[in-house]
Amino acid sequence: MTLATSAASDAASGVQPQLVIDRVTKQFGEGPGSVLAIDDMSFNVMPGEFVSVIGPSGCGKSTLFNIIGGLLDEYAGDVLIERERIAGPHKAVGMVFQEESTFPWRNVIDNVAFPLELLGVNKSERLDLAHHFIDLVGLKGFEKLMPSALSGGMRQRVSIARTLVSKPQILLMDEPFAALDEQTRLLLGDKITQIQQDLNQTTLLITHNLTEAVQLSDRIVVMTYRPGKVKRIVDIKLPRPRTSDVVSSDAFGHYVAEIWSDLREEATRGMVDSESAQRGGSRG
Amino acid sequence: MAATGQVKTPTATMGWAKSGRGSSRSTNMIRAGIFFGMAISWEALSRSGLLFRDVVPSLFSIWASIWKLVASPVFYANLQVTAWEIFASLAIGSGLGITVGIILGANRFLGAAYEPYVYYIAPTPRIIFFPVMIMWFGVGVASKIALGALSCFFTVALSTAGGMREVDKVLIRVGRSFRATPWQMATKIYLPAMRTPVLNGIRLGFGTATVTCLLAETKLSNQGLGYMIMQIYARFDMPSLYGLLIIVFIIAGVGNLILGKVTGTSA
Repeated sequence: MTLATSAASDAASGVQPQLVIDRVTKQFGEGPGSVLAIDDMSFNVMPGEFVSVIGPSGCGKSTLFNIIGGLLDEYAGDVLIERERIAGPHKAVGMVFQEESTFPWRNVIDNVAFPLELLGVNKSERLDLAHHFIDLVGLKGFEKLMPSALSGGMRQRVSIARTLVSKPQILLMDEPFAALDEQTRLLLGDKITQIQQDLNQTTLLITHNLTEAVQLSDRIVVMTYRPGKVKRIVDIKLPRPRTSDVVSSDAFGHYVAEIWSDLREEATRGMVDSESAQRGGSRG
Repeated sequence: MAATGQVKTPTATMGWAKSGRGSSRSTNMIRAGIFFGMAISWEALSRSGLLFRDVVPSLFSIWASIWKLVASPVFYANLQVTAWEIFASLAIGSGLGITVGIILGANRFLGAAYEPYVYYIAPTPRIIFFPVMIMWFGVGVASKIALGALSCFFTVALSTAGGMREVDKVLIRVGRSFRATPWQMATKIYLPAMRTPVLNGIRLGFGTATVTCLLAETKLSNQGLGYMIMQIYARFDMPSLYGLLIIVFIIAGVGNLILGKVTGTSA
């Protein structure tokens, strides 16, 4: 259970957090038309820990993802990796995107080997490593296929393998299963859990899916709706190793209900907000 | 999201084009029917004597003149000149077009400022610049190449700029997240992602370059297929004229077909 220990006890044992989010604030635009997307968020991610950030649509989750990934480099506060402030994509962070992001002109293995190609790793080593991670995400035998020949779930696994091959210290994922159906989502969740445990991979998952967050996480950061703040941080003390079977346990249901009561309030605010915007006639 | 992302892939487009062409037996029958119907009506019209024999020559005399043309070294000399003109103008026009297209596509400000010019000049007939080209480059091959390059430049530049903007934004973010250098972004993400629109532009550019070069040759020149057409016309050798037109048609068609195969796009 060392993986699932809380931040407080880790601090006591002297383990440094791998990722520090310290009073991060992001405002888009200035003056009356500006939007405060993220307001004073702080939390840590410990080495080997799986943390999910959950919140309703429009709470600034993707903004947080882009800041940590270094794709949005103007923000207030600090995102720190080994005491270094993130400004631009950091080599310790590997991103997996919500959208379809495989290269349609590359086959599976060349997609996965892409980051190694950028680093100038020689071809045989590159292919060896790519094979290893393709195997890890369960796509052995599909190496030569083009992404168009794969299902959405398989393509997302290719993206995950492509990110893992660069051996990131922190795996950062933005709703990687959003476009997939529920069964595929649960099974891919199993795959992710297994990989995370095998590699002891520090992972930060951005999601709006409650069951997914509880199924996978050691801790869940619940965000408020606009501006995004930390509403609550919940420790998920479900046993590891874990599989998708956990969704039928009482404890699982208990966590879901507990987090939903927080989330419900925020999601309702979001819904009222978007409905009144529509009534306002901005969309006709 | 997932579905729309994949529709854009070259293979998917190709598959669509293939099935869309529908070479079923019945369409082939109709095609053959049209061809033979036209041939028979032409021959009937020619033999009826309703029109001058010279204006509508018999298919047999056209056929004979095609053989004569294909056997003559003069034809090949002229073909070579025209082929060179088209190739050179396509190479120059595409090279410049891709460069300008990338600049316009990459820079939103420049794109907004200059693209309307490119856009509105693109469909104007370039042949009106021919006198200018003759003054600059003389009556020889160079003026045709210049005019041909000018004509395909616009097509290639517009499709490149469009293709550049249509590159899936998430792929660019993927490249950035893996800390690709600007050179790696260009060669490993932008160029392969833009392959289809750019090659399509080049294929369309081939068409306009062919038209422009031949047209320029018919206006003022001393060699090339366009020149040859005007020579034959001056002799009022109608069977040879039609014969040569058919040959030019076939050559242009085959050229287009080859380019389509190479670029993986089809009409």
